[in-house]
Amino acid sequence: MKNNKIDVTSGLTRRDCLKQGSGAFALASMRALAPLVFAGCSELIPISDAKPVKVGILHSQTGQMAMSENPLRDIELMAIEDINAAGGILGAQIDPIVEDGASRATTVFPKRAKKLLSESKVTVVFGCWTSASRKAVLPVFEESNGLLFYPASYEGNESSRNIIYSGSTPNQQILPAIDWLLSEAGGSRKRIFLVGSDDVYQRTENLIIRKYLQDKSVMVVGETFIPPGHKDTGIAQDIKKSSPDAILSTLTGDINLSFFNEWAAADVTADLVPVVSTNVGEDELRRMRSNNVKGHFSARSYFQSLNTDANKKFIDRFQQEHGYDRITDETIEAAYSSVYLWKAAVEKAGSFNVDKVREALHSGVKFDGPGGELRIDPKTQHAYKRFRLGRVGKNRQFEIVNQSADSIAPDPYPQSVFPGWSCDWTNGGVKQGAEVKIQN
Amino acid sequence: MFDFNLIYRIYDIPSWKLALAVSGGFVLFYWVGCLFIRPFLRLFVRSRSGTNDLVGYVLSCFCVFYGLLLGLIAVAAYQNFGEVDKNVSKEAVALRALYQDVNGYPHPVDQDLCWLLRDYTLYVIKYAWPLQKKGIIPDGGRVRVTAFHERLLAFEPQTKGQEVLHAETLRQFNIFFEARRMRLHSVTTGIPAVMWYVVLIGALINIAIVWMFDMRFLTHLLLGGMLVFFLGAMIFLIAAMDNPLRGEVSVSSEAFELVYKSMMEESNLELED
Repeated sequence: MKNNKIDVTSGLTRRDCLKQGSGAFALASMRALAPLVFAGCSELIPISDAKPVKVGILHSQTGQMAMSENPLRDIELMAIEDINAAGGILGAQIDPIVEDGASRATTVFPKRAKKLLSESKVTVVFGCWTSASRKAVLPVFEESNGLLFYPASYEGNESSRNIIYSGSTPNQQILPAIDWLLSEAGGSRKRIFLVGSDDVYQRTENLIIRKYLQDKSVMVVGETFIPPGHKDTGIAQDIKKSSPDAILSTLTGDINLSFFNEWAAADVTADLVPVVSTNVGEDELRRMRSNNVKGHFSARSYFQSLNTDANKKFIDRFQQEHGYDRITDETIEAAYSSVYLWKAAVEKAGSFNVDKVREALHSGVKFDGPGGELRIDPKTQHAYKRFRLGRVGKNRQFEIVNQSADSIAPDPYPQSVFPGWSCDWTNGGVKQGAEVKIQN
Repeated sequence: MFDFNLIYRIYDIPSWKLALAVSGGFVLFYWVGCLFIRPFLRLFVRSRSGTNDLVGYVLSCFCVFYGLLLGLIAVAAYQNFGEVDKNVSKEAVALRALYQDVNGYPHPVDQDLCWLLRDYTLYVIKYAWPLQKKGIIPDGGRVRVTAFHERLLAFEPQTKGQEVLHAETLRQFNIFFEARRMRLHSVTTGIPAVMWYVVLIGALINIAIVWMFDMRFLTHLLLGGMLVFFLGAMIFLIAAMDNPLRGEVSVSSEAFELVYKSMMEESNLELED
């Protein structure tokens, strides 16, 4: 009888509890704790099924080019952020890997490019500004079959299967500006003075300009190259003595500041002898005295003052992100549009594979950017660009006085300068002609 | 081989869920032990008289040392947390002062320097902090600081006033730079792994001693459960406050956000006007 006695004080013995309760308890506790234990774990696993895709950003973040190239990094990161916020590309989020070229074109740039392609295994790189850095990384991209989007306007005389050139070539920028100067609207100028920085870009561009002016029977009354590192040009009086009726300037960087100061001091107004620059944008204007540069011209494909909805939206977004005093310019716009053009190409290709993306770019995929439509010429892998001529007006901004009716096809090898040279990536690639010596 | 870094995944879990998971896990472990381990442990003590007194003395003695250890570790974790918080505030304050100083430079140097500082602040808020939360030392700030420093050094003062301002800005930059280095060092600051082993082994011993008490089963579940729930809560607290830049209970980027919103964003709006 004693054995059958039930403990009424507790109602359950350990043995009963072990038998009857353990199963239910285990199930119930698992049921109860499962959401708590595993709830945070969803944050450990990416929501999307696809793995993040790495893309490289290679600009000089330090050194003398940092002030010019940092905005490119910022705008490319902003574009990637916006793409990711909208769901990524093909369901994958974009993981940007940013490297610093440190303004050392021949030493650091190729190393960083190699690192991005070999170690980080990026699918595409948005990068470079100077021609020297682009030329230095070119063999790395060709060797690894990488893809580089290069956003700056440059001198031409180059085409690589592994580079997409989204900036302007001379026939899309300075040559239409010359046409305008020679027209009635531009003052029918007949005597041109050429001034530039002493570098491969300016030497090549001036060679193209001289040939073009020669074909148009326009006199080049003088030509000067300012060596790098000079703070003063000291050429205003020489230019004045040669009595030009227009100046074409390919000066780059801070030397523009002293040149315009000296030219203003020479007491020649922009109405009388206008200066048409290829490398003066909104950022350079920021550093100059308004009175010294007012009325002069700049030949670009994009100006911040462009009055379109797409451009206003673009500027608003950039300034909202980086500050209301930040400015946009031609290269920033090209860098931004390049990211979206690559996105469009990947989506069309249905793959991140370089060859398939290139094929999609060749097929005429396009992006309606802030500066207009961006698409790539399949033969040269350069962008179709619209020419715009801006006159410096109020608030250090440009007033657009002339623009091409449509986008102009790129011509990296103008036949007048590079006879026999041509490029067709749909049929054999680059055909070499006679060697052209560019004095430097 | 166990990857100790997996432990850090706990910082990806929201803290209230982590607290419940750790404390609940301890209670669950204790209850399961009551069913399966307690009967064996009681074999060593149940036949003797005054079992609970004996176990009680041992538990009291153990708890003095263990409590002391937990207390000291909790204080150390809190001090670490406070120190890092102080450094982050110091960096943000120095950044604010630096921004103020560079506003006094002639145009366009002032604008260049302001843009670079604004870039740095945005980077810290948007990119560096999420990386720090994962225990990764962010690298993007280095290039931004270098770019700022290079631009600052390129400036040549033209007047006595500019010389004074430049000297003050460089001094302020050094304060900022030092605080930044301290923050980066703090990314991997934490209680050493060996201490965690001692804490966890101590917790196990604590639970094992409680199992040895001679009590009715349900009383065991209730009283022991409460004790280990609090033990779990203490361990959660230390874990949450350890690694001051990781997890939800961590030093936030609020100080930088405040600098950006109150100074950089506002000054932008003024410029726009």
